[in-house]
Amino acid sequence: MIQLRNVVKSFKGITAVHNLNLEVNEGEILGLLGANGAGKSTTINMLLGFLLPDSGTVQINDYDTVKNTVAVRKMIGYIPENVNLYSYLSGIENLDYFCKLAGLKYTKKELEDFLNTCGLQHEAHHKKIAHYSKGMRQKVGIAIAYAKKAKVYLLDEPASGLDPLASNELSDLLKKIASEGAAVLMASHDIFRVREVCHRIGILKQGSLIKELNSEDVSPNELEKLYLEYMKN
Amino acid sequence: MWQIIKNEWHLLIRSRALLTVSLGFVLTFLVSVFLGDLQSQKQNKKYKTAKEHLREKWESIEEMNPHGAAHYGTYVFKPSNLLSGLDEGVNSITGNVLRVEGHVQNEIVHSEASQMQSISKFGKLKSSLLLQYIVPLLLIFLAFQSINSEKQSGRLKLMLMQGQNPANIVFAKTLSIWLYGIALLILSILVYTLLNLNHIYSDLISRMLFFFISYGLYYYALCGLTIYFSIRWKHTSLALTSMLGIWIIWTIFFPNILMSSVEKWHKLPSRATFNTAMKNDRSKGLDGHNPADERRKHLEEQVLKQYKVDSLSQLPINFDGILMQEDETYGNKVWDKHFGELRNVLKQQKQSYQLGGVLNPFISLQNASMGFAGNDNLHHQEFLVQVETFRRGFIKSLNDKHAYGGSKTGDWGWKANKSFYKSIEDFQYQPTAISSVFSHYIVDLVFLLFWGFIVSILLILGTKKMQIL
Repeated sequence: MIQLRNVVKSFKGITAVHNLNLEVNEGEILGLLGANGAGKSTTINMLLGFLLPDSGTVQINDYDTVKNTVAVRKMIGYIPENVNLYSYLSGIENLDYFCKLAGLKYTKKELEDFLNTCGLQHEAHHKKIAHYSKGMRQKVGIAIAYAKKAKVYLLDEPASGLDPLASNELSDLLKKIASEGAAVLMASHDIFRVREVCHRIGILKQGSLIKELNSEDVSPNELEKLYLEYMKN
Repeated sequence: MWQIIKNEWHLLIRSRALLTVSLGFVLTFLVSVFLGDLQSQKQNKKYKTAKEHLREKWESIEEMNPHGAAHYGTYVFKPSNLLSGLDEGVNSITGNVLRVEGHVQNEIVHSEASQMQSISKFGKLKSSLLLQYIVPLLLIFLAFQSINSEKQSGRLKLMLMQGQNPANIVFAKTLSIWLYGIALLILSILVYTLLNLNHIYSDLISRMLFFFISYGLYYYALCGLTIYFSIRWKHTSLALTSMLGIWIIWTIFFPNILMSSVEKWHKLPSRATFNTAMKNDRSKGLDGHNPADERRKHLEEQVLKQYKVDSLSQLPINFDGILMQEDETYGNKVWDKHFGELRNVLKQQKQSYQLGGVLNPFISLQNASMGFAGNDNLHHQEFLVQVETFRRGFIKSLNDKHAYGGSKTGDWGWKANKSFYKSIEDFQYQPTAISSVFSHYIVDLVFLLFWGFIVSILLILGTKKMQIL
């Protein structure tokens, strides 16, 4: 579903992504680990069609993100580090608004179901976003992607700043989404969360994928050790 | 697009700060509308009372010498229309009352360009001040961070991920803020209309429509340009500063600079020069109080020949009346000549000033606003012409009565009776039809449309270069 082939991207002569090859299949969650500036966000922005690769191909569901930007975006659910929604609208109103932007019209019941599925407590549905915690906003963000029946989820540091409970809920939600057939790519600093949620893990350093492994093959402590070693070398 | 517009309006309605500002603004607006309307109604009432009083006095003349009545004269009034409350234009300078008297024509020596200067509007709570200065400021404050805030919060990305195209978002944002201005405009026009339901006629509806279109186009240009800066500049403060700078140049500096230049390019005579020239020309003519000159002699010979008599005392009519009418006719020629020259200069000033609209849509807005409200210098001139036409007929009736009413030459004590004075019709103001003056405002509308077009192009180009990240 998500495919990057020999992708190169540089900014003013500085290489951000170097010869990157990645693949995430249906029902799979891939975690991208890396320090700041490793190329995680650049990779996600190329998948979103906001950045053009200098060379190589970036595809979602066999659609080139450069040539078919609009079609590709319709398939993607994007959850940024901070989901900043409209503070003067409630969670359900935000969801309704973004669904309508995508040309989707749902009943109140359906919208509530989406929010429930994404773990937002019912009593919060009609509260203004201004009163939401970061975790609650993330849930609405995921509900927006979920409601548009995204086939691909791209998450940029989704757990950053979340409390352990919210972070755990997010993990469960991502697993649920993947189990329903979506391909999930998650960029993060959080080694333990990535190990817990993702099926596969890639370590990015200076724009290159220096290591790719299955989560099952490594314990959280081993992953941390491995990651630190790669970062030092 | 409609969804984005709707959402923007949600923000306006739900944001306490914006709602407070909007409500405060609407209240101020309503106060200005009521005050404007009250002033118009009061003025019209006063004019009506004064007009009736003057007519009553005129009709109550028992007996009077017609020439005495010509100097007794009368006053005529231009009632303010419904749109006067929205834009009183030059009325506060020119006034709406003119005196009608024998030998004396009304003059226009104030410059059209000078009247374009509306800085004097500051400090007075008038609808035109709010519509031309304050609403645009409010629109700038609403629009300057419209796109930037979406960009900085990351919502722009989310919107694009929902399949929206950037141009759609940009135009929807522009239209949503524009509609806010339009709502205020509609509110003010609606309130005025409701307050004056009995005085609405078809020409006024056309005027209101063009008035509305002019403001609508200006607000669009202003909103679009602000949104353009919001797209192009990385910092919202820079977008605000740029637009406030433009607003100041457009509304304060540019009109003043252009006004001064136009007055230099097309110079009007000073009041003293104008009056001296009129006096010189007129003194060459016949004057009923000064009968010793060549033209009087020529006229005298003509009349004596016509009546086949040798002396004025033998005439069956009063030669003084003929003499005064002849002087009047000559005075009219002098006035036509000077007034015509003045009108040409004023026309040139207006046309040159209007061309400034290509660089500054505010100039086009002001011209169109005053013009469609029927309160610019052009409409004042139309009023002057009507009054002068009335004055000529009025004085001619009196002079003819003096000449052919039954008195003899030199009989200044002869008096016409009450029925004669009653038979002279009062001045009836005919509002200038928009169709007869519309051509003068086409250039303003064209420039406003031009600005709307330019801003749309800027928005399209700006959208293409819009940085999402």
